[in-house]
Amino acid sequence: MYELQKVDKKFPGVHALKAVDFKVGRGEIVGLVGENGAGKSTLMKVIYGAYQPDGGTISIDGKTMRFQNPRQAMEHGIGMVFQEQSLIANLTVMENIFLGFEKQFVRFGVINWKAMAAAARHQLAKVKLDIEPSTITAKLSFAQRQLVELAKVLTLEERIDGDLVILLDEPTSVLAREEVQLLFKLVRDLTTRASFVFVSHRMEEVLELCDRVYVMKDGAVVDVVAQNQADIDAIQHKMVGREVDKRYYREHKQKPYDADKVLVSMQQASIERKYHDISFDLHPGEVLCLVGTEGSGREAILRTIVGLERPSAGRLAIKGQRLSRFSARQAVAKGVGYTPRERKIEGIVGGMTVFENMTLSQLHNYARFGVLRVGDEKRLAREWIERLAIKTPSEMKDCGGLSGGNQQKVVLAKWRSGGSDIMLLDHPTRGLDIGAKEDVYEMIRDMSDAGVGIVLVADTLEESIGLAHTIIVLKDGVAQKRFDCTPDSKPSLYDLVHHMI
Amino acid sequence: MNFERLNAHFPWITLVVLFLLVGLANPAFFNPVGLLALAGDVVPLFIMALGMTFAIYIGGIDLSVQQVANLVTVVATVFLVKLGIGVALVCILAGALVGALSGLVTTKFYVPSFVSTLAMGFVVLSGAKWLSNQRALHMNAEAREASFGWMFDTTLGLPNELIIAVLLLALCWFLQTRTTFGRALKAVGAGELAAVASGINVDRIKIMAFALCGALAAISGLMFSVKLSGGDANLANGFLLLAIVAVLVGGTPLTGGVGGVLNTAVGTLIVMVIRAAMVFLEVDATHQQMIFGIVLIVAIALTIDRSKLKIVK
Repeated sequence: MYELQKVDKKFPGVHALKAVDFKVGRGEIVGLVGENGAGKSTLMKVIYGAYQPDGGTISIDGKTMRFQNPRQAMEHGIGMVFQEQSLIANLTVMENIFLGFEKQFVRFGVINWKAMAAAARHQLAKVKLDIEPSTITAKLSFAQRQLVELAKVLTLEERIDGDLVILLDEPTSVLAREEVQLLFKLVRDLTTRASFVFVSHRMEEVLELCDRVYVMKDGAVVDVVAQNQADIDAIQHKMVGREVDKRYYREHKQKPYDADKVLVSMQQASIERKYHDISFDLHPGEVLCLVGTEGSGREAILRTIVGLERPSAGRLAIKGQRLSRFSARQAVAKGVGYTPRERKIEGIVGGMTVFENMTLSQLHNYARFGVLRVGDEKRLAREWIERLAIKTPSEMKDCGGLSGGNQQKVVLAKWRSGGSDIMLLDHPTRGLDIGAKEDVYEMIRDMSDAGVGIVLVADTLEESIGLAHTIIVLKDGVAQKRFDCTPDSKPSLYDLVHHMI
Repeated sequence: MNFERLNAHFPWITLVVLFLLVGLANPAFFNPVGLLALAGDVVPLFIMALGMTFAIYIGGIDLSVQQVANLVTVVATVFLVKLGIGVALVCILAGALVGALSGLVTTKFYVPSFVSTLAMGFVVLSGAKWLSNQRALHMNAEAREASFGWMFDTTLGLPNELIIAVLLLALCWFLQTRTTFGRALKAVGAGELAAVASGINVDRIKIMAFALCGALAAISGLMFSVKLSGGDANLANGFLLLAIVAVLVGGTPLTGGVGGVLNTAVGTLIVMVIRAAMVFLEVDATHQQMIFGIVLIVAIALTIDRSKLKIVK
């Protein structure tokens, strides 16, 4: 019923969608996979009306449509469940569900809360969420909020005639496994009410849930596979054009580290309510993984080393020198490089060019008496663009316009080109596709070979195990267990989870 | 051609269109002698706007510049006889000091710059009133001629004050585009948290930006004082609004990070043309501020980067 035909979209310098055909049938769950920059998010934006295509047609039940904005798309039954949740935390659940559509409950200028609560209960029942509609949204768990968001989109059912198409953008990225299963069961049940488009980086989930899967590469749909004939390896092969083999984490390249020298030494350090009594030494060539659940103190430990947090007790020494004042400036000067989880906020400066971003941490290397040698800066940038295969038309391009993986490479190039030999990586592969992830793993091994000490907070446990020389498992800010790993003797997932929870 | 790419060219297109419109309505406007005189009149404002550019470029604002200029007119008039041309140095240092203090308050006590500079402006105003005894002072004519008479000479047919303006613009442009300071300013304006995580001393950069803004405001006040041959705690009133208008219509948005001093040069010329048009159309002097108030709102509405500013309060 919902159909895109030969949809084209161009941005300056990029052909983002190339004659894409896309179809969603009634009650169908359609998956959408592809590397970052393959055109998934552009396609989603075209579907929910945020972008207008340059060519091709959009039709619903054979009728050609043109949406000027998401609101118009919504009026034709297309709803979007956003990855970053759009609920307002200090409002109640029912206020959020009917935000902007309170009019139906208003009598003489006053809202009839009972009527709204009843209507909200009806919506919540659709997503099988048994909570009071008057609960403040902030008190809900992340998974519950996601369901409220879905319930909010499902109010479309009453508001419009015709069929619903609901877009789910990475809905599982922060859910625990059981929660994912519950969500999937719910989505399957809801196919009586709506069709779904499901976008995820987790291939197994896409195949588990979807009836058909669209595979995108470089702005084009390269394959459409039905669930029963899908094969993960084959799809991944089509997405990246190369095989994902067993040496994914480059374990064969792991070499012993230099245990005689110490780069970072943290002793009995604590920050109230974040972590407690943490001690470790980081050596040249070592990959030290901090493992734990969200809020176990991993991120705060990284931020302490880079000087963005101040420990309330304990000692921190970088290259033998004990720190008393904590600032990022001091840490960077001592060779610390920080690759933050919030790449677009703390990693790169959007609006500045690729070369400006690369030299930002080392301006003094490219200046005499405060005057920049811009030619040298550009030369450096071109060298690293080639070395890391960064996809950008030139070093003069706005860094904010690159895809996530390429932005991450710019951040890594910034630190490596400046000679940082203590790297703090917080979720360096978050939101990256397989190809870009592998590039990052390769770079981690290269840095390790070059004698760089790395503290890593990885995206998944497999990643931690695959990459680490040393694993420290944290729980509620306290170190539970330390594992020393060589390529042949790595702890199993179970060993880690056992200490995490 | 999409709207965003057009946006960057909007200021100078506006300038050319306005310039031609005013000239077509009143061909006498194109007279080079008259234009040079108009440009000369706008020099003190331009220099103040130049300084303001740095404050706005990092995403802040400096509301004390008008009061700094006021104070400087008084200081220059009172100390001219005693210090001669050395009074210029005293004025510039005073301006830089006031700016640096505002920057210090902003960065160390987390007071937003629009409040810290507003408050600092009142402190400075009190100083000006105290020093002038709340009277309009006149400059010693001989000392003025001896120390600053050269400002009104011409070099190769160009008024020296215009040459000063162009030199300051060149200096500021160099600072903005070719120095580590300028690069850091851009990073602070476009992505402050990433600048912090890259090890840039953001506090120092901010303090320097406000100090530079104060110093340029002082130069602006000094030139104005010499031009009018006197000092008064209210002499430069009316400059603040126009300086902000010049920066914003030039295309440096309140959110910072883009635009810069060349934009401000264009913005100042737009202000100049609008002013000339109002004189030609015989708009009452009391209404002119209203017009500029409206221009300011339109300029902000057109230039502000809404992707960066999710909430306005």
